[in-house]
Amino acid sequence: MPITELLIGGLLLGGLYALMACGLNLIFGVMRVINFAHGELLAIGALSTVSLVAGFHFPFWSALLLVPILTAAIGLVMHKLVLQRLAGAPMIMSLLATYAISTILVNGAILTWGGGYRGLPGVLSGSVSVLGQNLSISRLVAFAVALGVSLAVWWVLEKTRWGRAVRSVSQAPELAEISGISIEHVRNTTFALGAAMAGLAGVLMAPTFASDPQLGVRFLIKAFAVIIVGGMGSYPGAIAAALLLGVIEVFGGYFTGAVIGSALLFLLMLAVLLVRPRGLLGVGART
Amino acid sequence: MMKPIALAVVLGLAALAVPYFGTEYALSFTMQLLVFMILAYSWNLIGGYTGYTHFGQVCFFGLGGYVGALLIQNAGMRWYFAVPVAALAGAALALPLGTAMLRLKGPYFAIGMFGLTRVLESLVLGFDSVTKGGTGLYLVPLDNLRPVYYALVGLAIVMIVGTWRLDNSRLGLKLLAIREDEQAADSLGVRTTRLKIGTFVVSAIAPAAVGALNAVYLGFIDPPTAFSPVMELTTIAIVLLGGMGTVLGPLVGAIVLSVVNELLWARFPEYYLAIVGTLLLLAVLYMPRGIVNLGMKRGWLPAGRSLFRQLAREGGRGRPPVAAPLVPDEAKRAEA
Amino acid sequence: MNAPEHILVAENVSKRFEGRVALDNASLKVRRGSITGVIGPNGSGKSTLFNIIAGTLTPNGGRVLIEGEDVTGASPADICRRGVGRTFQISRLFAEMTVMENLVAVAHGIDDRTAVQRAMELLEFLEITAIADKWGSELSYGQRKLVEIARALMLKPVIMLLDEPFAGINPRLQNRIVEHLKSLCARGLTVFFIDHEMRIVLAECDQVYVLAEGSVIASGPPALVRDDPRVLDAYF
Repeated sequence: MPITELLIGGLLLGGLYALMACGLNLIFGVMRVINFAHGELLAIGALSTVSLVAGFHFPFWSALLLVPILTAAIGLVMHKLVLQRLAGAPMIMSLLATYAISTILVNGAILTWGGGYRGLPGVLSGSVSVLGQNLSISRLVAFAVALGVSLAVWWVLEKTRWGRAVRSVSQAPELAEISGISIEHVRNTTFALGAAMAGLAGVLMAPTFASDPQLGVRFLIKAFAVIIVGGMGSYPGAIAAALLLGVIEVFGGYFTGAVIGSALLFLLMLAVLLVRPRGLLGVGART
Repeated sequence: MMKPIALAVVLGLAALAVPYFGTEYALSFTMQLLVFMILAYSWNLIGGYTGYTHFGQVCFFGLGGYVGALLIQNAGMRWYFAVPVAALAGAALALPLGTAMLRLKGPYFAIGMFGLTRVLESLVLGFDSVTKGGTGLYLVPLDNLRPVYYALVGLAIVMIVGTWRLDNSRLGLKLLAIREDEQAADSLGVRTTRLKIGTFVVSAIAPAAVGALNAVYLGFIDPPTAFSPVMELTTIAIVLLGGMGTVLGPLVGAIVLSVVNELLWARFPEYYLAIVGTLLLLAVLYMPRGIVNLGMKRGWLPAGRSLFRQLAREGGRGRPPVAAPLVPDEAKRAEA
Repeated sequence: MNAPEHILVAENVSKRFEGRVALDNASLKVRRGSITGVIGPNGSGKSTLFNIIAGTLTPNGGRVLIEGEDVTGASPADICRRGVGRTFQISRLFAEMTVMENLVAVAHGIDDRTAVQRAMELLEFLEITAIADKWGSELSYGQRKLVEIARALMLKPVIMLLDEPFAGINPRLQNRIVEHLKSLCARGLTVFFIDHEMRIVLAECDQVYVLAEGSVIASGPPALVRDDPRVLDAYF
């Protein structure tokens, strides 16, 4: 069993999951909204990248900047039009709303890009030799950017004034309001940031994986599994769990085949929900 | 009391008459309507009454479909035996699943069920030596599909009547209590765990049966049809739009959405998801309790759960004075 | 078998929340058929004590006994089945159900007709028959309190735990509630409640407990407690 190869493959995948899950977690932490449409933002990110690079011949690095702005805008619209109105309602309502939005977005994606798969050949292709292993450049870049951004956002949350405002809104909204923080502003920017992170994950994914409008659903479950294992509301938990689950998925896939391998993640998520619902480091999920 | 029964009889007869007097088109429309109705009524039990909304209804539909299809194909079972077995399979899965999953809070339960559906789909795709995976399973078509149709009509009637009986019973009230405030209900002695799990199991039976019936009718089943997210979305939209926790809600919703479905597939099939998604979104934002509940509140429709009001009225006429003590017997106290 | 004189006993109950001591060896005894009240300023721990007795919180130390049996750590449902009825401070009525349905929903062991009859009797007893068909969400604050009491009484409890039943309602309604509770006590019910309203507690209770900063600082009949210097100290 090529342990090192699998391990590295798992970690590289985990980096992407971290970016996805951190965005999802950020939104949950601040607004107690479980964004069912997060996967679609990823898919739209990936497909937009394909259009931008393969279709309009923009350089790949520009997609890293432009596409997250697009998904952030979509996220902002989602929040202002729909989620803001559901601010006081029980979580299930915003879940239903984001579920509905996700189907609208999937439809939109199918209309824009068709239902088939698109790849991005020639971008970040080739491989380098690291520690005696042949690693594909696209995966390396994806890992570096994904993990880098996730850690950067964590730094922002811990060290900057905006980050403190975000944390105080997620922990004690009433107190935050009294101390002059505009909750609406924080929620808007947080949702936009989370959406941007999903979009960025899509950009990074485009050269490595084949993108199609159904990409969102597949990744959403994995992102949920990551946050639940890591603990909903815990940012470092999401990063750690993402890397862990990436590795588990790759190892699992080696033994049982890719299809059942991804089912493993979900089963792990279920197991965690039932046995230790707080996950590694987070807030509870039990009744 | 008479009006709902009369209505039910009329609708039932109309449904039964379709194969004889209706066109092919009318038949297939009614079939789809019936399938959606049965799924919706089932989801209404666990989502509408008990308040445990979830995105995994279709996993029982798919499970029932595959169990039924495999029994018919590989074991040579007749469809009218295979369907009840498929229904039992649904219940058998729901029991341990419900016991485990219903301990989770609302949104986590919803997502958990969604994930489970995807997992089941993956497993079906993965074990393709048995299930033929993505290619799908073909069944020998039946000569006469009418009995299948009648089975669907029968199932739909059972679901509607069952929901009506539930609505007018203390059991129904207990489920609503769980929905409204589970902790308070539990503190007041309602056996919430038992009731939740029981309802979940019951809500899995009909979808599993319909899944099998659907496979028989189409003569075919594959993962996208069996675990169709579109079907899930439509079922939820039906109950939300129609009215959660009511007798007529799923019926109204099913009719509205079947019509929408027909119109869309005829003219704008590529906008189906977006339109149904938008309808669901509008319902969530502006009418979360659905058309029927709105109608009841505004007085257009008679308010549901009439049994208790009726008993109260009956009790009010010529009642003997309050004889029973409100607290446990004085006699017991005297013992102390 | 002789039923114990004290239907409810809390023995040295302690509770800590993340380093902060909410209750420190609090003890109380409630006589059968009495009206017992617990008062204390904010932060005194009376809510914590109430919730431990009702089963919604588990103590870090000490025991709770109902009818002589140890129920420490039992679930709220278990406690309810032992004949305890409770109301909530912020009323938790079933909003999308009518008042009648709220009552009938919790009845068990009796058939529909009896349940409805019992509900009607309770509504009559509390003089709120007029609102039987109103939705839980439509009721006024005072009506909610009354329905909460009626709902708990549907279970024919031997002891009623009331969480701040007099908070936020006008004196006339407060007096009405007191009347009803007293007539129930005359028929054997034990009433235990916590509240801020010193006036009522000192006027109507058989026994009063005063909590401050997690401990019982005074207890006894109202006349004794009213003039206790420690109580005056704690409040003023």
